[in-house]
Amino acid sequence: MRRNRSNFQAERTEINVSPLIDMVFILLIFFIVATSFIDEIGISSNYKDSNSMVKNENKPLFFTLPGSGEVLVDGYSVGLEGVASKVRNSSGLVPPSIVIQVSEGAKAGLATQVMDQALLAGAKAVKLAAISK
Amino acid sequence: MKLRSRLTLEEEDRDINVSPLIDVVFILLIFFIVSATFVTLPGIDVSRPQVQRAESLKKNSILFALSEKNQIFHAGKSVELAEISPLIALANKENNKPVVIQVDKWADATLLAKIIAESKKAAPIVSLATLKER
Repeated sequence: MRRNRSNFQAERTEINVSPLIDMVFILLIFFIVATSFIDEIGISSNYKDSNSMVKNENKPLFFTLPGSGEVLVDGYSVGLEGVASKVRNSSGLVPPSIVIQVSEGAKAGLATQVMDQALLAGAKAVKLAAISK
Repeated sequence: MKLRSRLTLEEEDRDINVSPLIDVVFILLIFFIVSATFVTLPGIDVSRPQVQRAESLKKNSILFALSEKNQIFHAGKSVELAEISPLIALANKENNKPVVIQVDKWADATLLAKIIAESKKAAPIVSLATLKER
């Protein structure tokens, strides 16, 4: 009889944690599923808007991408490999600004690669501009 | 006497001590709550251009995708060019989240230029998602 009562007391003092664990597990699984770990790598073209361009003394370097898949500077085809050297040659003390003019039919992959090459060669800012016919 | 002691011993053996388990689960739970950012993915798979200079971009950003067929996607839906800056403004209440554009390498570059120009109206940083050249 006495043993019975002590048993009863022991049950009273112990909190039943299993609903808590259930709830915490449900929350845990929800957050695991809802969390999307995206780790993108990429390039950023940090280009100031046009009024800051006016103050900048050196003119931007223009690359033109026609639909044919070439890279043109002043009408001459330089190819993707020539972009970096063009940027290096043109830069004086200040790293140059680059404007890539793309026309209809040019592929975004090539434009991105030109941007990458220009940034790799030390260009300060790269802008993509669409030219309409 | 002997019987009783054995009984209590067995009883002690039977219930597992769950408090370390709860501790670990709570730590995991707090980690996942803190790291949850709830980024809405564009919902299409693009073949990214490969570049040499690529840096890791901000995790908590607004994603757009430009598909091979020159369609713009955001949060699993196809959107128009003019809808981009209202969508960014909607997603960006006060904190200036950067915009990441997942661009397909065979998409049209003029459209990409227009998307970047449109995104620049509403977001401070616009980046292009790429692949690192191996």
